[in-house]
Amino acid sequence: MTSGRAIRSIAVAGGGIVGLSAALAFARALPGTRVTVIETTPDPAALADVLPTLHPMAARFHGLVGVDKAELVSSGIATHHLATRFEHWSAPGQPWVHAFGAYGKPAGVIPFDQIWVRAHRAGQALDYDRYSVGAELARNGKFVHPAKDPDFTGSRFAYGLRVDPEHYRAHVRKPASDVAFVEADIGEVERREDGGIAALTLTDGLRLEADLFIDCTGPGARLISLLEDSFEDWSAWMPFDRLALESVPGDGMPATSDRITAEADGWTIEWPLRGRTLVGRVGPQGTDITRGRRLRPWVHNVLAIGDSATALDPLHGYQLALAQNAILLALELLPGRDFASVETDEYNRRAEQVTRRVRDFLALHYLRSGVWRELASVEPPDSLAETLDHYEHRGRLPYHEEEIVSRDSWTAALLGLGVVPRHDDPQSISVPLEQSVPAMQRLADEIRDIVAGLPSYGAYLAHVAR
Amino acid sequence: MTDQPPKTRVVILGGGTAGWMTAAALINQLGQSCDVRLLESEEIGIVGVGEATLPHIRYFVEALGIDEADFVKATHATFKLGIEFHDFGKIGTRYLHPFGSFGAPLKDVPFHHYWLRLHSERRGGEIWDSSICNVMSERKRFLPPKDIALYNYAYQFDATLFGPYLRELSIARGAVRTEGKVVDVGVDPETGNVTALTMESGERVEGDLFVDCSGFRALLIGQTLKEQWEDWSHWLPCDRAVAMPCTSPPGGIEPYTRAHAMTAGWRWRIPLQHRVGNGYVYSSAHISDQDAADALVAAVESTPMADPRVLRFRAGRRKRSWSKNVVAIGLASGFLEPLESTSIYLVQGAIAQLIELFPIGAVRDEDRDAFNRSVDVEYDRIRDFLILHYHATERNDSSFWNHVRTMDVPDSLHEKMELWRRSGRVAKYSQGLFFEPSWVAVYLGQGVIPEGWDQRADVDDAQALEGAVERMLAQISTAVDGMPDHAEFIRARNASIDAPA
Repeated sequence: MTSGRAIRSIAVAGGGIVGLSAALAFARALPGTRVTVIETTPDPAALADVLPTLHPMAARFHGLVGVDKAELVSSGIATHHLATRFEHWSAPGQPWVHAFGAYGKPAGVIPFDQIWVRAHRAGQALDYDRYSVGAELARNGKFVHPAKDPDFTGSRFAYGLRVDPEHYRAHVRKPASDVAFVEADIGEVERREDGGIAALTLTDGLRLEADLFIDCTGPGARLISLLEDSFEDWSAWMPFDRLALESVPGDGMPATSDRITAEADGWTIEWPLRGRTLVGRVGPQGTDITRGRRLRPWVHNVLAIGDSATALDPLHGYQLALAQNAILLALELLPGRDFASVETDEYNRRAEQVTRRVRDFLALHYLRSGVWRELASVEPPDSLAETLDHYEHRGRLPYHEEEIVSRDSWTAALLGLGVVPRHDDPQSISVPLEQSVPAMQRLADEIRDIVAGLPSYGAYLAHVAR
Repeated sequence: MTDQPPKTRVVILGGGTAGWMTAAALINQLGQSCDVRLLESEEIGIVGVGEATLPHIRYFVEALGIDEADFVKATHATFKLGIEFHDFGKIGTRYLHPFGSFGAPLKDVPFHHYWLRLHSERRGGEIWDSSICNVMSERKRFLPPKDIALYNYAYQFDATLFGPYLRELSIARGAVRTEGKVVDVGVDPETGNVTALTMESGERVEGDLFVDCSGFRALLIGQTLKEQWEDWSHWLPCDRAVAMPCTSPPGGIEPYTRAHAMTAGWRWRIPLQHRVGNGYVYSSAHISDQDAADALVAAVESTPMADPRVLRFRAGRRKRSWSKNVVAIGLASGFLEPLESTSIYLVQGAIAQLIELFPIGAVRDEDRDAFNRSVDVEYDRIRDFLILHYHATERNDSSFWNHVRTMDVPDSLHEKMELWRRSGRVAKYSQGLFFEPSWVAVYLGQGVIPEGWDQRADVDDAQALEGAVERMLAQISTAVDGMPDHAEFIRARNASIDAPA
């Protein structure tokens, strides 16, 4: 019987966005389960708690936990995020716009990037990002919701959100009957016989027992690191180890794209929020940032989510996407309170598949940039080496289970970085240039016309506020 | 590099189902990059694998630009919504493994968790009623789905007509067929690549890439390149089949394949338009050919149309299906008994990978390795699923069932079963075959009831939940009421082709 083994109480360590999101999701999915959030002193290195990026896939999480996207925007917590502009990142190349959603249109089974590469080689293609609705909208400071009709080009893009982290944190800190908030720090930790955690004594003297402990304390991983210290270091592939965050007053007209600029000793990202711009400088100064993953994010009754499980630098802002993904996966695979290893192993197996490919995607940007020459000789992770080999040979992207980085994201980054296949895939030559080039031109014109007819993002926001 | 390399010369050895599927797909998808030549001999018979297929076949047929109605008529095909297993978990039981899900997820939780909970409270009825495929099958109804998220279907066709159908199509589109036996295989002493096949007529057929579809003979991958075979007969001991077609019995056509467990294996029953395919797949260590044939004759439900014919095989796969410039597809690559109708699917999967990794110039190790990894994943996952059918049983009525019930299973299957037994969860994969509903069907159909289920399924009030389930079952039943009889549907379709436009 499940009822005999059901989890009855959950303690969440960490009161940042990740901890509160976990508390919200578990409380909502399991009414009657007592959830206590220990709002420990925030760790500035817990990037999932301090960065503003929410990928399009956050919509699913928000839907399940009852966060209204439109309300986030109308209340000024969030702005729409269509794309990121990369400048000076590719040594020989042009800036490029990395947009969410589709680039171009496939021809039957042939992906658009392969069609584009052929035309590009023949000197008959515009820049790759000219075939993305999201990129074109972002370039022109515009926004509209994707059209419902999948056959209409105006449906072929996606958007994420950029949230003001403090306000978003307040928004997901929802009072609920089964959730208690305790502002305190962790004192003593009592262990279970199996090695798990039985109870925590907090600095305010409270002793907190729980069936499940969720460690959202950031890279320090204050609970799970007591059980096991097994960390896979990714710093060779994401070389910059500090982040300085700064808030700059904005002009109240936020852009729909972020901007990333590469520099000799790091890079800078600008996130335009409502009324201010958050600037992150990744390089030699600021808070130390961790890059790597815990080999087993779930050990006995302790589950690490957020930077305690996987820590990345801010490139592409996958932190919250990974955390939300982990929360949903934990709910999908929630074990009984005896935490049989066959159940937690399945969680760890699937979580690993997700994070490994995000690591590869970030590593790609550094190892193939050309700006930081010393990185060109760094050996990529095996799975990235395979991706690079197949893509450079013939534009193939090997399939990976559980991958959350889309094919469109991979190709936007690869082609933006100048990683262009050497050969046409034999299937792609069935579409002759005489056919593909005019079709591409029509698509680019159509995208340009759709975007030209839209009001600015500022006007959109003013309309929403009304 | 806008200049294209010269066309790759592909030589396919063997004109069975695998050979002509490969030829048709290559000429269709890569016709501008390769020349396709197929060598076959009318003297060498074909095994004619699989009369029953999986839904994937639809996309293969569709990608070739074939009209479904024409195809169904030409191959005397019927539609298939799943496989009904009899007597596997226990004598007297039966269940359908459907090409569709059980119920629909509720609040992000798969339906079977709610069913497990209700079942523990002696509520909720039979889970099989929540499968629309099952309800359609029980009532012999068929209609293609509006959306494959609802359910899907495959074909049951005459395999001896499928190959020739594709042969005609391939030749019309530019494939070259050469009749005759191969008497010599030329190998480059330096690279080890196959360079040419010499025919009985003395003709030497050169090629860049050779596809070995020569069946169990494995003339290129096995006899020439000596690629090792990994034997799985300790888990899947069936090594023979005796087949015998029978007339169609009266009373309509079942839109599903049947698999009846037997003393030393199992028996298939595949209804086509014009006859019923029957066969007994057995372990020769546990029953003699004669006894198996007698058991088959005794079991069939209509008049035999031919004498029983014995086929021999071995479960396992080639350690590397792509070696040097030889790609093995079909039985030369591996064999898994047709318990889940996977033979043609495996051919199709290998072809898809070959197209995705088709050599540009010389064969690269990276492409070969990727192909072999993919083939391994497909075989290994299907293997585990097949073993489950034998292992999850209470049967102790024969030495065969005692063996499979008590044998050690692969670790990968052991872990999947443990996960299911704990909490009704299916280890998730998205590559290869058989996802959650398939595993749920076999586990529950063969009496493996988990101790627990998703805790979220306990949240709602049991009575409210039961009401929701009843409404869902009523919806399914009403939907099936509106569907035509399977045999009627086929007749009407066939008639629409014959009618002048």
